[in-house]
Amino acid sequence: MLLLEFQSFLLGGLLNTLFLSSVMIAGGTLFAVIFAAGLSAQSAWLRRPVYGLVECLRDIPLMVTVLMVYFVLPHAGLSFNPFWSSALSVSVWGGANGAHIIRAGLLSVPSGQREAALSSGLRGWKGLFLVILPQAMPVILPPYVSLITSLTQASSLGAVLGVNELLRSAQILIEQTTIARGGSPAYLIYGSILIAYFALCWSISALGAKFERHFAKPYLRANGRTQPAAPTVALQATMT
Amino acid sequence: MDFAYILEALPDLMTGLKTTLIVSFLAIFLSCLIGLLGAVLRTSGVKPLQYAVTAYVEFIRGTPYLVQIFFIFYGLPSLGMRFSIFWSGVIALTAWASAFQIENFRAGLAAVGRGMYDASASLGLKRWQHSVFVILPLATRAALPSAMNTIVATVKNSAYLQAIGLVELTFVAVDRIAYDFRAIEMFASICVIYLLCVFTISGLGYVVERRLSRPFGGR
Repeated sequence: MLLLEFQSFLLGGLLNTLFLSSVMIAGGTLFAVIFAAGLSAQSAWLRRPVYGLVECLRDIPLMVTVLMVYFVLPHAGLSFNPFWSSALSVSVWGGANGAHIIRAGLLSVPSGQREAALSSGLRGWKGLFLVILPQAMPVILPPYVSLITSLTQASSLGAVLGVNELLRSAQILIEQTTIARGGSPAYLIYGSILIAYFALCWSISALGAKFERHFAKPYLRANGRTQPAAPTVALQATMT
Repeated sequence: MDFAYILEALPDLMTGLKTTLIVSFLAIFLSCLIGLLGAVLRTSGVKPLQYAVTAYVEFIRGTPYLVQIFFIFYGLPSLGMRFSIFWSGVIALTAWASAFQIENFRAGLAAVGRGMYDASASLGLKRWQHSVFVILPLATRAALPSAMNTIVATVKNSAYLQAIGLVELTFVAVDRIAYDFRAIEMFASICVIYLLCVFTISGLGYVVERRLSRPFGGR
């Protein structure tokens, strides 16, 4: 079996994919927080440019963003290797999508909660982390988990720039075996890779569902006593 | 920014844009058809069909689009199915978009209440009349915003097809950069072109939504 024979080669690619997607998820979250802060800024001079940038990132195809960062940044004197170039471009794209998810989550918490936090002496960061964010989590998490699976899938774009992740390993393997043995094993190898990615994304969704249940719990109990603070905003992050 | 260079490259870019638009249009048309059909099958109550459609949707949504393209273009020929670059692109884009359209239309169908069935039955409408004249318009209306999102995403995702060598907008730009090294000019122009496409389509969608959101009937 071809797959078993080149097991370690493909596993190396899978490890690189895992590393690349972790970098993209971390970077995407960082940019999402920065953009969300920019979108909620008081000053219009800050808010409008951030809004424009976020909209452009969401409307330009991800493939174009990835290629653009790779080809244009060297002109500005910033040269990255393919790994960090793809990590940067996908992170910025993820940040633009994540910013809207976070902002919608924060807005879904009734303003009374913020006032209640203030009147209890929880100002600024304390109010945000102890009062607002836990209540926004049930709204933020479902679309955010699907964004994370999108970012994991987007790590395959690294292959376009030549990062040695799972898809690129598969391409190399197919090229080599086609030359060495004749007859393309493409359907077998791409098929197995599809299944590997599916398993990866499925595990992420399963893990995400666990977190969602965790954050839904305490409020379910409180709902029995007080008015339900059910999330009213339903968001869907699609791989766009 | 060298505008003279952009003007010089414009005819090439327009040929690329034409391919982008043709591929996207075919994929949009087919995926909406498949989406509607899949949504009907998924709510049909026939268990094996429902499972098959659900499995298809989950698989497409759970795997990277780029790998799907490669599987279709490089993998299928060794299974005896050989398509040109153009048709591989159309198939890959349609397969991807269909999964999302099935979900959109399913949500649209679910939004039409049970009461509608009772109402049209009490008016003496036959089953097919009920489906075509009552359910279809209402479900389309409910599904339209998310279906528009997927349509816009379909146009954007046609850019991925440059990876298999389809000569569309992004391919033309990257190809010219390989010769002339004018990365800034080329990317600026294709970004503007893509943004114009996206704004036009979402604008059209907005107009259609506005028209459809008026109450039906009452003439």
